[in-house]
Amino acid sequence: MEVNKDPRFLETQIPSKLVGFFKLDKLLNLARSNSQWPLTFGLACCGIEFMAAGAARFDFDRFGFGVARPSPRQADLMIVAGTISRKMLPCIKTLYDQMPSPKYVIAFGGCAIAGGPFKFPGQYGILEGIDKILPVNVYVPGCPPRPEALIAGILELRRLIQEGKTQGTMSPAVIEDSQDARPAEYKNAMSRAEFRKPPTPAAPIPPAQE
Amino acid sequence: MPAVADPSLKQWLLETVQPDEFVEKDLKISGIHFEALVGADKIAGIAREFLKRGYYLESLTAVDFLECFEVVYHFDRQDSNARCCVKILTAKDSGHAPTLSGIYRSALWFEREAHEMFGIVFDGHPNLKNLLLPESSLIHPLLKSFKGEAKGSDVVQSLQLIDEDKRDFELAYPKSISQQGKDYYLNLGPQHPSTHGVLRILLHLNGERVLDGEPILGYSHRHHEKMMEIQNYLACWPNFGRLDYVGAMSYNFGYARLIERAMGVTPPPRVEYIRVIATELNRISSHLLWLGTFLMDLGAMTPFFYCFDEREKILDILEMATGERLTYDYFRFGGLDHDFTPDMAPAIKRFIPEFKMHLREYHQLITKNVIFMKRVHGMGVLSRENALAYGVTGPCLRASGVALDERRRDPYSIYPQLDFDIPVRADGDVFARYQVRMQEMEESLKIITQALEKMPEGPITLGKLPKNVPKGEYYSAVESPRGSFGIYLVSDGSLNPYRIKLRTPSFSNLNSLIDMIPGCFVSDVVAVLGSIDIVLPEIDR
Repeated sequence: MEVNKDPRFLETQIPSKLVGFFKLDKLLNLARSNSQWPLTFGLACCGIEFMAAGAARFDFDRFGFGVARPSPRQADLMIVAGTISRKMLPCIKTLYDQMPSPKYVIAFGGCAIAGGPFKFPGQYGILEGIDKILPVNVYVPGCPPRPEALIAGILELRRLIQEGKTQGTMSPAVIEDSQDARPAEYKNAMSRAEFRKPPTPAAPIPPAQE
Repeated sequence: MPAVADPSLKQWLLETVQPDEFVEKDLKISGIHFEALVGADKIAGIAREFLKRGYYLESLTAVDFLECFEVVYHFDRQDSNARCCVKILTAKDSGHAPTLSGIYRSALWFEREAHEMFGIVFDGHPNLKNLLLPESSLIHPLLKSFKGEAKGSDVVQSLQLIDEDKRDFELAYPKSISQQGKDYYLNLGPQHPSTHGVLRILLHLNGERVLDGEPILGYSHRHHEKMMEIQNYLACWPNFGRLDYVGAMSYNFGYARLIERAMGVTPPPRVEYIRVIATELNRISSHLLWLGTFLMDLGAMTPFFYCFDEREKILDILEMATGERLTYDYFRFGGLDHDFTPDMAPAIKRFIPEFKMHLREYHQLITKNVIFMKRVHGMGVLSRENALAYGVTGPCLRASGVALDERRRDPYSIYPQLDFDIPVRADGDVFARYQVRMQEMEESLKIITQALEKMPEGPITLGKLPKNVPKGEYYSAVESPRGSFGIYLVSDGSLNPYRIKLRTPSFSNLNSLIDMIPGCFVSDVVAVLGSIDIVLPEIDR
């Protein structure tokens, strides 16, 4: 297993699998899966649904993951809820690095999965999907997903942990092409003089050429 | 309030300034009284005159034309609808414009935004750096010559930013340790539970006391304005649902109003009633979310659960018609997406008395609570003058003693026919803002009750409308839960907008934080910030 050399990275992961303590591993995973501590962290609209999932009606504390921690040092589950702007990305990576291992990531909502409605050819502001930078365990689709979907997502994560299928580590970023095929209709600048002219009936405005 | 243009101002402008161009506009269509094009050297004098006459700078933006940039200033009064527009032209290559930041402090951020988006240099601006984009970013995205970035550049640029961030951290960290003296800097956010999203405030502290603070924005910048330029008018609807996801109906209303005015159509009466009911229900749910999180910031956990419980009931009602829980795109041009279902009116009627009872309960729990009173009284005072200088609107302004409400100042839809008050407090502190919002919820209930009684039957759509907006410039504002939400649209008559500027209320409201927090403790910064009720994606856009 790859061990992170960054001194700021907390090495609480089990480094070697030469000797497997099968029963003990299972016990540990059972314990981990039943008390996930998510990081209190909303990026955009989905953050509100994350809050709603923790509030009176949906109350995800029923399932044992209601201890939302504001500090990444105490959390082991990052719910990426919202659009990842490029300015925010270094902060997300810092937060992820500060979380103790083993840690898990849920991509919550369309933006965290693949850019959502803000994805278009040539966009300049967002990262199209958190999985280009961090390893993601569970994807929860929706724009925004309902709180029930978040609960279903965390239950799915619990199942994965209990079956020993996930162990979060830092993986290198994968640079992939955006698969967006919509044509971008970028306009050229129009002439101000042309624009200020009073409208002449039934004469379409010729598009200005640069 | 009648919409009167200030005749003496017009005279002053025509005689003293002698603008290069002066156009009287139709207020009903364009939303402004007149528009004047002046030389760049005259704009500071004009702004001073406007300030003297009690105008505030509502919006400042730029438009990219083939031969020049147009820098567009919108001024408006707090007591009546007297919006007017002043423009200057700047050259295309390294355009310069004089700064207004010495006159209107709201220009501080507006100009920084125009600088990064268009590359216009505002001479004399004290702090002209990127506001929404990363500081090392060199692109000017709202230029028409900016045709987007290559595929995969999001990852490349993001990795580069991670590197830069790490390097800057290592550079900055030893410096701040070796700093002598008692004062130091503290980052509040961008990941902080009480910044309601991803706001970062760089606090300059002496011990626990705040010397000054600077909000750093852009952590939720989602290029709404550029995106709208490349998609057609109908495809812009989801953007308005996601600008301010807590009060999305008002933003739907703003866009619907703008386009309907520009096209010169009026929606059927039933549509107007449904719109008002949905917007006011959404306003209550927005204020409830604010109340819960604001008190949670102050350390009270219980109201959070109480408020979310009530909020879910409103979401249930709205979901019947919209199918969504928060990012509504329910309105259409001249109509609605769906009619109210038959069981909605009874559900709303059941909800109103229930909610009134709960509101009384909140007052008993919170309003006279000693701990709460000690945290909020006299804290974060915003004076009338500062509110004017920063262009603050909404409950924050009404808590400072100015009764500005777009529903009364520039009446739209059926609001003139309804009987409701505009709650105003004079103190301007955190408690006043709390009181204003609490009373606004009651007023919204009054509006909903009346609108439900009078709601007529009828069609909910006008049928087919043209796909484009006539060539011209339009400005329209509505009252969102956070303040006056204005949209400035430049249309070239084609299928998509040429330029859309979103004048969002939280942007200006948050700007005034700079004046409110000096002298507070760090824990009070959270209280003051909570009382402004910001929504980050609406600020960063």
